[in-house]
Order: sequence, then C-alpha cells, then structure tokens
Amino acid sequence: MRTITLDDYKRRMLRVLVHIQQHLDDPMPLGELAGVACFSAYHFHRVFKGMVGESVAEYVRRLRLERAATQLKLGSASVIDIALAAGYDSHEAFTRSFKTAFGAAPSQFRLARQMELAEAPSGIHFQKPITVRFRTLHRGGSMKVEIKQLQPMRVAFMRHVGPYDEVGKTWDQFLTVMGKDGYLAGNPTMLGVCHDDPDVTPPVKVRYDACLTVDEEFQPSGEIGVATVAGGAYAMTTHTGPYNEVGRTYSEFLGQWMPRSGYELGNAPCFEVYVNHPESTPPEELLTDIYAPLQERAKGARE
Amino acid sequence: MATQEKVDLFKDNKKEYAATAKPALVEIWPAVYLSVSGQGAPGGDAFSAAIGALYGVAFTVKMARKFAGKQDYTVSKLEALWPGMNWDSAMSDKEQWTWQLMIRTPKFVTQKDLSQAVQTLLKRGSEKGAGAQRVELLSLNEGLCVQALHVGAYENEGKTMATMRAFAGKQGLRLAGAHHEIYLSDPRRVEASKLRTILRAPVRKAEK
Repeated sequence: MRTITLDDYKRRMLRVLVHIQQHLDDPMPLGELAGVACFSAYHFHRVFKGMVGESVAEYVRRLRLERAATQLKLGSASVIDIALAAGYDSHEAFTRSFKTAFGAAPSQFRLARQMELAEAPSGIHFQKPITVRFRTLHRGGSMKVEIKQLQPMRVAFMRHVGPYDEVGKTWDQFLTVMGKDGYLAGNPTMLGVCHDDPDVTPPVKVRYDACLTVDEEFQPSGEIGVATVAGGAYAMTTHTGPYNEVGRTYSEFLGQWMPRSGYELGNAPCFEVYVNHPESTPPEELLTDIYAPLQERAKGARE
Repeated sequence: MATQEKVDLFKDNKKEYAATAKPALVEIWPAVYLSVSGQGAPGGDAFSAAIGALYGVAFTVKMARKFAGKQDYTVSKLEALWPGMNWDSAMSDKEQWTWQLMIRTPKFVTQKDLSQAVQTLLKRGSEKGAGAQRVELLSLNEGLCVQALHVGAYENEGKTMATMRAFAGKQGLRLAGAHHEIYLSDPRRVEASKLRTILRAPVRKAEK
C-alpha cells in the first residue's frame, strides 16, 4: 500500500481550488467540495483553511471581488450589475466589501489606472494564471503530536446548539446536573465534541456536545444523553491558552501537520479533552488536548 | 433566587493567601474545610485515594447546592496539615507520614450537605461511597501564623521552614502545632522546580 504524502494532499487540494474557480457562481455544498478530492467532509473546512490560509467562504468571496475588480477596470458594465454578478444584492453591501478589499469605492477604483491587488496567502487570484502557493509547513511540522490508540469511551452528554463561545453555559448546567448525582467523583474525563466547524457553520447552528465519561450503569434522562466516543487510532496535540483560540491550533494541526504526517483523517469528528479547570486556571494556562481520528488503512500503509 | 456573585474564598481572603519568599506574620481567621486524614507517602496509593475522595465530595456538595439554587462558590485549592513532622529526620520514612488533606469550604456548607453528598456517592458504587465516608467537616482557628512562599520541589521545603523558624525566633515567637501547606500549583502539570506552595505555621510566644 502506498504512503499518503504531502504531495498527495497538495494535488487533491489543487483539484478543489480549480473546481471552486470553475464554479464561482454556483452553490458549493460541503460534501461536493470534499468529494472532489476525497477529503473527509467532517474535517474539510479545517484542512482547507489550514492549507490555503483562508476559509472556503473567504476564498470564494475574494475571487468574486477580484473578478468584479477586473470587470470594473476593463469592462463597461454598470457597478450594480457587477455587484449582482459578484453575489451581492445591493450596491451598498458591494461597495463596503469592495472598499475593505481594495481601499477604494468601485467607482473610484474604475477611474484608477492600475489595479493593485493585495497578495492572497495562496497566491491564487482571479485574473492571474494559477501558481498555487500552499502555506509553508514549518509550523505544523514542528507541532508536538502523539499517536494514541484509544478504547471506546462511554459518555453522558448535553448538546449545545449556538455560538461556540457560549458552550461554557451548557457546561455549567451539565456539570451541575451530573455533579449533584455524584458523577464528578472518580476524576472523570471532560470532553467536547464539536460536530461543526465554528469557522464555517453559522454560529447559531453550531452543534457541540459537552461530555463526561460515565460507567455502564449511567442511564440517560431529560436533556442528558449517552453516547460512545469511538475507539481506535487518534493523533493528539495540546492547545495551550484560552479556549477561544483553539481554532488556530486546529488549523495548524489538520491543515499543516496532518498533510505531511503520512496519515489520513477518519470520517468522524475530532474531540477535545479539557485537562485543567477554567475556574481555577488563568486563560493562558488552560490546556486542551485535541484528538483527530485517523483512518486505520492509512495508518497501516505507513507502517 | 437573585443571582449573587460566586463566592471564591481564595480571592475573598486574599491577605491569608498572600505570601512571598520572605516570611511574614499573618493573622488567620477561623475557617472551615472538608477534610480527610491518613497516613502514607505523598503521591502513594493512600494519598491519591484520599485526594480523589475529597474532590469527589467537594464537587458533589457544591453541585447539589447549586442545583437547589443555593449560593454558588468555587471549589478551593488543595491544602494539607502535616502533624508530627520531624524536619530533622523528615526524609527518613515517608510511609510513616501523617496528613490531613483539606479543601477550604464556605461556612454555609453544613454537616447536612456533607451527609447528603455521602449518601449520593454511596449510590455511585462501594469505592466512591467508602472514600466519601472518610470526609469530615473541620473547623480550624490558626490565629497568628508565620507564612512564606516555597518555590520548588516539596522535598526542599525544610529550607523554607528553617527561614520561617528563624524569622519567628527574632520576633520572640516559636512555631507551634502542625504546619499547613497550600498547593498553588498542580504537580502533574508543573515541573518540580517551579512548584509554588504556601507554607504556614501557627506561632506562640517563646518561653524565656
């Protein structure tokens, strides 16, 4: 069996980038994008952001704006028509985004002779030939990662649907209900399973499960369910610092470390283990272990 | 119930938990603790089991009260009394050491809260229940104490205790009773040379 290399990842990501460029005006469902290059849909957005340096939505928005800029410079279509073609439904919204990107209103821009584009992290721009520049991989490369074989874990959980920053409220409620019945005794593990990428899914729809390991006797009731966190091979890295900065570590981990690791992500969500307690720990010392599931086959291929 | 600020004894009694490498005299007010006593080497099985039992009860008491809408509070850091510690031969046989592990708890936590938590934990299995039954409520009134911050491995505390003893001597005082340790760092996560521990010892007037 063949080892999965960084080049494989790059080749596959390039297919996605080209696909987006060719379908700039079409809706791009996650499954379809991930499918173009056989990436796991669960992790696709984080891998994309980690490798390309911007999210899919940012990437699409920017390419559309750059196309609009070219049309402003070279064509004679009205600003409102160009705005509509770029996916904006009003002149104002288009002007606002355009100003942020190019530092001038579309009409002023049209007058300017030279278009000065800000260089994107990936090196891809609408009107230029493609010479893709993936992010340099030294940071992800020096990341401390352990490969672990985990036993399945039985967990009680409470689901949070809403902004990721607000999971603390759900934790508070969950730990109170579990704690009053003695389930915080015996040093159980506190895990978080995020089913969506907070960088992509609208905040009000982000699904997150606050989980606590429990024994076989625990029975679900009310708002508290029971689930099993799958066992198997996981890559694990530790995020040190405030919880709201964990996204950056995910990005390095899945987008930078993973592509050069020889492993392939499994089609299951990542989970987080909270090592210390936010009540008694300053934010900069908080430790979060991030576990990413690995495909068994890919693991075998490497050994 | 109106939302009240969460009680945090560590912050609310800042003066009692302020310590530097230089020993100082501090007046310690009466305080209540959840506590387990035992014997054995620190970090050994008996010691670890006692810590587990203590935290299990502390969180169960806290959450049961919180669920019932009573005043919320932060579970304080681990502390311990070390009665009968002989500093001259302190390193000899650690299995003989006796300790009283403690977590400071607001005075509104009652014996009834503790009994209910023990009942709850008995339902969670014989091991958790038996551990919980060893936990008791303890009142301490340490009064005037000499206190210093020890930075480094627990094994080197003798040095800091010696500077505290010398400091007390200069004030015409002597150390009296079990010395008290307050663990500011988590030994599983902090390397030994950086561990921060407050050492406290009650003092009495030295007899001439």
